[in-house]
Amino acid sequence: MSLVDKILKGERAAIAKAITLVESSRENDKQESKELISKLILNPGHSVRVGFSGSPGVGKSTFIESFGSYLVKKSFKLGILAIDPSSQLTGGSILGDKTRMSEISKNENTFIRSTPSRGSLGGVSFGTREAAIILDSAGYDFIFIETVGVGQSEIMAANLVDIFSLIVGPGSGDELQGIKKGITEYADIFIVNKADGDLKLQASKTAADYQSSLHYLSASETSASKKVMLVSSLEQTGMDDVTTTIQEIISINKKSGIFEKRRSDQLAYWIKEEVRNHIQQKVETGIRENDQFEEMINSVLTGKETMHNTIDLILKKLMK
Amino acid sequence: MTKNDKEQENLSNWKKSFEKETKKSDAEDFYFSTDEEIDIKPLYTKEDLNNLSFVEPNSLPGSSPFTRGPKASMYTNRPWTIRQYAGFSTAEESNTFYKKNLESGQKGLSVAFDLPTHRGYDSDDELVKGDVGKAGVAIDTVEDMKILFKDIPLDQMSVSMTMNGAVLPILASFIVAGEEQHVGRELLSGTIQNDILKEFMVRNTYIYPPEPSMKIVADIIEFTSREMPKFNSISISGYHMQEAGADNVLELAYTLADGIEYVRAALSKGLDIDEFAPRLSFFFAIGTDFFMEIAKLRAARTLWSKIMKDFGAKKEKSLILRTHCQTSGVSLTEKDPYNNIVRTSYEALSAILGGTQSLHTNSFDEAIALPTDESARIARNTQLILQNETGVTKTVDPLAGSFFIEKLTDEISKKSWDLIEEIESLGGMTKAVKAGIPKLKIEESATKKQAKVDSGDRVVVGVNKFKNPKEPKIDVRVIDNDKVREDQINKINKVKSIRDENLVNESLLKLTNAAKENKNLLEFTIEAMKHRATVGEASKALEEVFGRHFATSLSVSGVYGKHFDKNEDFKNVSKKIDSFGKKHGRRPRVLVVKMGQDGHDRGAKIVATSFADLGFDVDMGPLFQTPKDVAKDAIENDVHAIGVSTLAAGHKTLIPELIDNLKNIDPKSKIIVFVGGIIPEQDYEFLYNNNISAIFGPGSNIIESAEKVIELIIKKNN
Repeated sequence: MSLVDKILKGERAAIAKAITLVESSRENDKQESKELISKLILNPGHSVRVGFSGSPGVGKSTFIESFGSYLVKKSFKLGILAIDPSSQLTGGSILGDKTRMSEISKNENTFIRSTPSRGSLGGVSFGTREAAIILDSAGYDFIFIETVGVGQSEIMAANLVDIFSLIVGPGSGDELQGIKKGITEYADIFIVNKADGDLKLQASKTAADYQSSLHYLSASETSASKKVMLVSSLEQTGMDDVTTTIQEIISINKKSGIFEKRRSDQLAYWIKEEVRNHIQQKVETGIRENDQFEEMINSVLTGKETMHNTIDLILKKLMK
Repeated sequence: MTKNDKEQENLSNWKKSFEKETKKSDAEDFYFSTDEEIDIKPLYTKEDLNNLSFVEPNSLPGSSPFTRGPKASMYTNRPWTIRQYAGFSTAEESNTFYKKNLESGQKGLSVAFDLPTHRGYDSDDELVKGDVGKAGVAIDTVEDMKILFKDIPLDQMSVSMTMNGAVLPILASFIVAGEEQHVGRELLSGTIQNDILKEFMVRNTYIYPPEPSMKIVADIIEFTSREMPKFNSISISGYHMQEAGADNVLELAYTLADGIEYVRAALSKGLDIDEFAPRLSFFFAIGTDFFMEIAKLRAARTLWSKIMKDFGAKKEKSLILRTHCQTSGVSLTEKDPYNNIVRTSYEALSAILGGTQSLHTNSFDEAIALPTDESARIARNTQLILQNETGVTKTVDPLAGSFFIEKLTDEISKKSWDLIEEIESLGGMTKAVKAGIPKLKIEESATKKQAKVDSGDRVVVGVNKFKNPKEPKIDVRVIDNDKVREDQINKINKVKSIRDENLVNESLLKLTNAAKENKNLLEFTIEAMKHRATVGEASKALEEVFGRHFATSLSVSGVYGKHFDKNEDFKNVSKKIDSFGKKHGRRPRVLVVKMGQDGHDRGAKIVATSFADLGFDVDMGPLFQTPKDVAKDAIENDVHAIGVSTLAAGHKTLIPELIDNLKNIDPKSKIIVFVGGIIPEQDYEFLYNNNISAIFGPGSNIIESAEKVIELIIKKNN
């Protein structure tokens, strides 16, 4: 049986190997990966991709554990791609997300894969989009993509999913002013976590703050109106609310055509992104490996050549 | 010339002589920084006793601040109690062992429970298949408890129980067993560990989240202080912290901070402090840093008396810290194991010079397995020799007045006090453990210690220096864990077949409701156990209200690698890992796991962080996984290898199951499995035959282990 068939049958080991393939930096693997993905997209599943982002410490993994348990109890199949930010100086990493997902990780209806973020600042890693395609073809109902919220990479994360949610802790309302223009624009749902114990009141207040500030943000043209939700991962409250909201947003967006538009916009985004990536890599290796550039730059410094001429010359050489 | 001038002149002469002898321009070059970051100087003088913060050098034993000992007479009147902790698999075996000891004059007995009992699972629970009877005795119902104490008069015997998670059903069963022996609860004497906070930092044998767990602790303090006047309601333990790698300041500060939190919990029940304070007891580890350990015990008493005064205790007795000590298990080595007898002896001497009330000395084979009769005898004799041959009992606190000891006592007090204040500023220990801070600090300390040994900065005789070319073979105790489990299951079934189910269900329901209504839970648990509910059922009845706790796990990074800036071995292994990564398009990936109910995760954490520092991608699994969970995790993350850390002897059951599960999911799996931890040598062959690729015993050098692992991975993936 081919790898594609095994994936379509939902074989765990095959899915895992395929994800390794699409994440690999080896040239042969990249070629194989392209072929695999081009076959898989002919066999799409029906999954909804949901992104979860938020600063370290707000309880993303714990929320996913809690929400995930709720979903698998309702017999949904759940795939989770967790981008773990804890890369270290040496290049190695500790992938500890799963220590916080002890219940769902043992469930037969889940597939949980951690990926070290490497250089990409805790955001989306190379291959995450393809990994989601694999899980989709393998028949998962929901695909969660968990990322750490750091600036620019969130835009990439948002471009991988049908619904993008931001998880915040009680009290993070103060930060609202700062992030209003950034990530909040991309988020469809705001989940205020830790509405339990001492923090319950504060969490409600934070939710209210978000709610009122949403009035100032116009509903984005690519989605239904934004929602704020109050949950406790610890006490597993608010999960039904999150589920219904996700389902509602999806159904509204599907009816209005936004769902499809978003997916095609995202495709366009990734085409540009990939091209940009390639060019950037090419330029960087070009500069690294070509001693001539150093001399050309020097000629500007010594006044023998003008800056703009030199730039044009370098570009010509690089873009050959 | 005044006396003072003369002293100054003498001191400067000493400096000159010192510099001449050592050919160094400054004595400070000889300062030695300990794990606690206390500088040990080559010489201490009277000057060091100026400006002490906590120690009062003129104080006397038996009075506040009790630095010199809780009693005026100390060992001159009665030596410390020799209390050897013992865990056997079944109640029957334990009972025989206790009776043998009682015949030879032992006054107290100490019970170790197996891991499922600790975690509130019955022996027939599928989750605990590999753990039943490991590291202690399995107790499922009152019937087991009755067998444990058969023919042992509980009104005459002091019973110490190491129990923290399932404290309620275990203490309740003990009380019921007493009653059915016609011994009232007011006559029972002994100690229950009941120290749940440290479980969240190390060891991990908790059941419920921190807050309800604290409520249970307070319930027990309340109940015992009113109904069991001869029973110690809690043993506040630093032991397990040091075992998990904490330095002495961390151990001391966190133990006392735990104590503060327990006192608060008891006060919140409306108890008067003098009503329960004299029944609080402590438990510390004694490692190989000889003088530091002595200073730690003296500092512990000094600080605790201050803490209790600040709480408003009025009785002198409330100010006293009484402690049990045990020599360090983690200082024992698998290599050249007879060295452990010597280590334990020095540690025991430290504990005695520090003024402990009772002591357990480890057997030299405990780095590998439960002690044999022979090794246990040597361990006991270590204390008998100290008591009878060395003369250490003849003088109270013989090191008092030593410039060094007094200064060191003050320094460790100061450092610990700062740390206690840090915990207080976070809102106390319950909040701190919820945030995971103490756990992380202990892991950082453990990683540093490991790096010092692996890099050769710290010498461990027989391990990283002075190795024995001919390692001696020693016999160890073997437990047939399947048989124990089978016996326990039969006993549970028998109890269940004759008990009145209605009464059981009714009493369990009452227990659940009591938890909802925030009532004292011990009396309700006693009722349920009396009707022969099992430990697992009682625990579940409470779980319905409290939930089960799952730890969030944080990891340190970079701490290990920092010690190896210029180390060639480290660089070489790193290079191998890097080039594998380049060749295969991703870094070598290793899943580090613990299986079963064994929560000792120091080893796993150190391996994870140091492997990551070397350049591996390391997946950490949650605690308490079954082999099936681990296999799923490993396959989904497509790891190259699984490292299993095992310290509780479950490996013979759990590892073959893991291999089977891997094959079930992926018959062509290339995943390598290696094992680290406490594994007796006679099991090596069994494991190798079960497709284990490498075994790393206690004291293995991590860089060497990592090299072996990367080479195995390279070989398998070529």
